[in-house]
Amino acid sequence: MDFNLPDDSDPRRLEIRSWFEANPNPSYKDIADRGLSAPNWPAPWGLSADPELQYIIEGEFGRAGVAPPYNINAIAVNQCGQSLLAHGTEEQRKTFLPPALSCEHIWCMLFSEPSGGSDLAAVRTTARLDGDHYVINGQKIWTSAADKATIGILVARTDSSKTKHKGLSQFILDMNTPGVTVRPIYDMSGEENEYNEVFFDDVRIPVDRLLGKEGDGWRLVMEQLQTERSAMTKPGAVWGMGPTAREMVTGLIETGRIKDPLVRDEAAELYIEGEMLRLLVFRNMSNRINGTPAGLEGNLGKMIASPHGQKLSDLAKRSQGAAGLLVNPDVLPLPDKHYGLFSNWDYAFWFGPASTLGVGTQEILKNTVAEHVLGLPRDIDPTARVPFEDINKSKLKAVSQ
Amino acid sequence: MDFTLNEDHLALRDSATNFLNKEVDLSVLLTHERTVKDADYDGLWQKIVGLGWPGIVVPEEYGGLGMDYIDLIMIIGEMGRTLAPAPFFGTLAGAWAIEKAGSTAQKEDLLQRVTGGELKLCLALSDANGQFGEGVSVTSEKNTHTLNGEKTFVVDANSADKIVVMTQGDTFFIVDKNAPGVSVSFLPWRDITREVCSVSFDNTRAERLESTGAGNWQWIKDRLYLLLAAESAAGTAASLADSVEYANERVAFGRPIGAFQAIKHQLAEIAAQSECAIAGVQYAAWALSNNDEKASLAAAMAQAYASEVYKTATHRNIQVYGAIGFTWEMKNHLFYKRARANSELLGSARQQREEVINWLEVNEAA
Repeated sequence: MDFNLPDDSDPRRLEIRSWFEANPNPSYKDIADRGLSAPNWPAPWGLSADPELQYIIEGEFGRAGVAPPYNINAIAVNQCGQSLLAHGTEEQRKTFLPPALSCEHIWCMLFSEPSGGSDLAAVRTTARLDGDHYVINGQKIWTSAADKATIGILVARTDSSKTKHKGLSQFILDMNTPGVTVRPIYDMSGEENEYNEVFFDDVRIPVDRLLGKEGDGWRLVMEQLQTERSAMTKPGAVWGMGPTAREMVTGLIETGRIKDPLVRDEAAELYIEGEMLRLLVFRNMSNRINGTPAGLEGNLGKMIASPHGQKLSDLAKRSQGAAGLLVNPDVLPLPDKHYGLFSNWDYAFWFGPASTLGVGTQEILKNTVAEHVLGLPRDIDPTARVPFEDINKSKLKAVSQ
Repeated sequence: MDFTLNEDHLALRDSATNFLNKEVDLSVLLTHERTVKDADYDGLWQKIVGLGWPGIVVPEEYGGLGMDYIDLIMIIGEMGRTLAPAPFFGTLAGAWAIEKAGSTAQKEDLLQRVTGGELKLCLALSDANGQFGEGVSVTSEKNTHTLNGEKTFVVDANSADKIVVMTQGDTFFIVDKNAPGVSVSFLPWRDITREVCSVSFDNTRAERLESTGAGNWQWIKDRLYLLLAAESAAGTAASLADSVEYANERVAFGRPIGAFQAIKHQLAEIAAQSECAIAGVQYAAWALSNNDEKASLAAAMAQAYASEVYKTATHRNIQVYGAIGFTWEMKNHLFYKRARANSELLGSARQQREEVINWLEVNEAA
């Protein structure tokens, strides 16, 4: 057991650092060519980096002041790109991965629907085979970055005669295809627009854009969400993307607000929780380095990390009193760092409610942990074992009242 | 870096698991009016001595095994998981006081005997108000020291052969339990898996541990935090596993109660906190083993976090069982009480959180 992290003398760190020093302000093409966009991927895409090297690279992006690709194009370099690597055709990989890694193509994930958020498998968007195309009709919602994306990974129902989990398939959709309409959602933060609705009106996708096989859709969704949740376990506001408890405590000390005995105790409690989460992240990292298969611990981590972030930004805001209600990003001093969107406590707080909703609500995560980690009995879903096309019939409605 | 346990750690833990599963029987305590005196404290201790555990972290130069604190928590965790009634806490606490404050001669003599299982110890810390270092006054004339006063909440004092006493100014004395003027009485302590006593001294002659001064208590306290936190983290995991097992078995409204979200969500939360507690304890053990600059911080964090989680988990465990979990004949209350005891014995979580913030103010503020 060794809790020391790779320090400034680590040769791998020095190698990455010297590259950033030789290439100040690199383009994302440069970054992709160096294998740093998705360092955990195998060559020629990445460096087959183990989690420790990934950690080093993440740190060096921060040191160089460069926003890492996973902040800009997370869907591509994280959850969905990996699906193409594992399940895509050679032609799909060649066509879509290089522009994804160089961030020329921004990807989005077309999963949730108005009638199915937590019940994600209740997808109503259909994909009907018509010659050498699939024809898509339906609607998605809560799609991050759909307004910027050129590629969407779409889940649609290819077979309604099967049960709801079995009739799903995934497609690689060119977002510029006729019939795709993107409409922004103005969320309660009133700040930058994060989410969108996406409408499909007889959208034609060539058959060679099917990801995996027909009916693989749900299995892919599970893999992708697992990857996504594991990435959201870092301690900090908004899934670990915003400032951390360490930074909150430093800010409270600098402003003198730490002297309030109640703030003080709560700050300590959150600091400790943040440190425990950090240890959990590192332990999962070590498990993967040691070859222990990545399990469901991502769910476990996110389950604490999401409310942890909410509590942090809540305390930061409360330390301001009534002034916290003003639209004003200046809450507590923060180090000059790349937080992406969530660069201040104010936005992190007002965006906060989303963090126990997005990528599985807190309640769905708890179900997953209870059922798959603890082995407690499954919830009853009267719609799970019948053909999807029968679900809306009155008989089932009565059962599920 | 490697944040995971290696095979040696796991083997050590497994051997402790097997031994304690076989030897610890809490059922003897599950009859109304039973107390810690019924727990066969000394019987279990004799078997523990046979395994060499008393010397596990005693440095090799004093005859011990010189293993590190990660090894130690493999054993302490299992003792916490099984609520093993034996005077290990007191012996470790006393041995650490001697290791930190004793002269070479004192260490050579006393720690050797601890390792051999000939000497059980306890560490008398606080007065009746829980004030550390208070309660006992010292009169010194040349090399003769005389103690007067009373210490309370002394773990394992009844079993101990010698009592280590902390007085003001980070100074420690050692006294034979049978010395004139020493009187030990059991306290009506709710956690009946542990001997907790008061010890009074009436003109009792004592030997001073040589090294005095600032830092002794902090060094010892860090280790005692680790002990309690390791017990609490393992106890939390045990309590959770017990809740899960019961929720899978107990049927109501035609389904195992674990199928209901009101129950499964609470257990899921405890599962996550339990993992965090385990990680925090292992980190503290590593930091103390390596004299890491953050060792005191790590120990205080582990104790604050694990003690709170343990209380939550054991209360939830009773709730999952329903009314039967509220009876003396079930073991649920033993864990609930241990959790309460572990969170107060060395000061509350609030106090450890104050230590954490204080550490950050001193060490991290610009």
